[in-house]
Amino acid sequence: MNTFDFFNDNFGRLLVEQGNDPFENAAKALRSSHPLASGKNSRLGSGWAIVKEKNAVVQLKLAATGITYDDRTRFEAIIDALENWDNEPTIFMVFDKAPLPISNLFLTVDLRAVRVCTPGGVYSFDYTLEPTENSPQFYKTLYKQRMKNAS
Amino acid sequence: MEKLTVTAHMKTPFITGGGYMTFDALLAGILFDQLQDVEAAHASVPIKCTDGLFHASAAMYEPLDQSRVAFVANMRADHSLDADLFPRKKDGTMRKMGRLRRRDFGAVMNSYDSKQVDSLEWHVEGDSEEILKLIEPISFIGKRRASGFGEVHHWSIEASELDGLTGYLNEPLRPIPVERFKGNTDSLKVDAAWRPAYWHPANRAICYAPETPQ
Repeated sequence: MNTFDFFNDNFGRLLVEQGNDPFENAAKALRSSHPLASGKNSRLGSGWAIVKEKNAVVQLKLAATGITYDDRTRFEAIIDALENWDNEPTIFMVFDKAPLPISNLFLTVDLRAVRVCTPGGVYSFDYTLEPTENSPQFYKTLYKQRMKNAS
Repeated sequence: MEKLTVTAHMKTPFITGGGYMTFDALLAGILFDQLQDVEAAHASVPIKCTDGLFHASAAMYEPLDQSRVAFVANMRADHSLDADLFPRKKDGTMRKMGRLRRRDFGAVMNSYDSKQVDSLEWHVEGDSEEILKLIEPISFIGKRRASGFGEVHHWSIEASELDGLTGYLNEPLRPIPVERFKGNTDSLKVDAAWRPAYWHPANRAICYAPETPQ
């Protein structure tokens, strides 16, 4: 399975017209401006997205159909997906002002190696373990929220 | 081709940049410096290769200490960068580069994880003489070599029982695509590059891969 085909089949094709180059298609979806439900246009410049087979969930309210829109915070949504992990390939994305480069796009296929893709880098962590001193700050915050939810 | 263990005995901490640092990638880098041709460099790696998969493990090491190091590079666009890389104005002329505007120069900070280790070890199946010829002159490996990181004190090569693909417990020693992996399927599964060029997204697949030391 190729990350970019997975991304385009389950998310990218809902946003941009698909050409012959899967990398360019993915890059176009991540850097282009898309119509919002409000009538304005915006890049994927804030919020988060979780892409699974035939199921893309996005926080930013786009006009595109075939996508589920969800108001939860990035931590709530990612914790929920990881707590209900079904062993199916998933792309976790967190957006920011800068576009997410395709080199930072990775699939997660194992809870022991979760990859959260962001414009600034890829946060990798083992969700089955507590964060260590060297864990990414993102995972430390996620873990804190998870513990709070559990208590 | 013989089964070998190659060891780099380290003098200074090294920086991987987060990758697996497979031995074929290391040799391909050395060969590219000599040949200046990516395809020729990959074709000349003296390691057994089965349908694109090199029988060469990821770097194995036990970190004694780990620290974060940051470097600040001060860019001077008018003499550090090729002016052809900059976008032209609508009339086709080049915008004059200066030192007054923030976007024309500035400091760029990059930070890395530096690891203090005694040695790095790889299991490979390859030609020991050719491998030794390539690695002997190499005195720095990894990233930030010019800053003194990754200095190798000396190299050693010994006979091994491992083929560079799976270990004693049938665990993966390098990223191997799931459909080609014959070992323990309880191993870690990740989306990773499994053949050179490792930086190219087209060479990524769902693989069984070793756990990288944290």
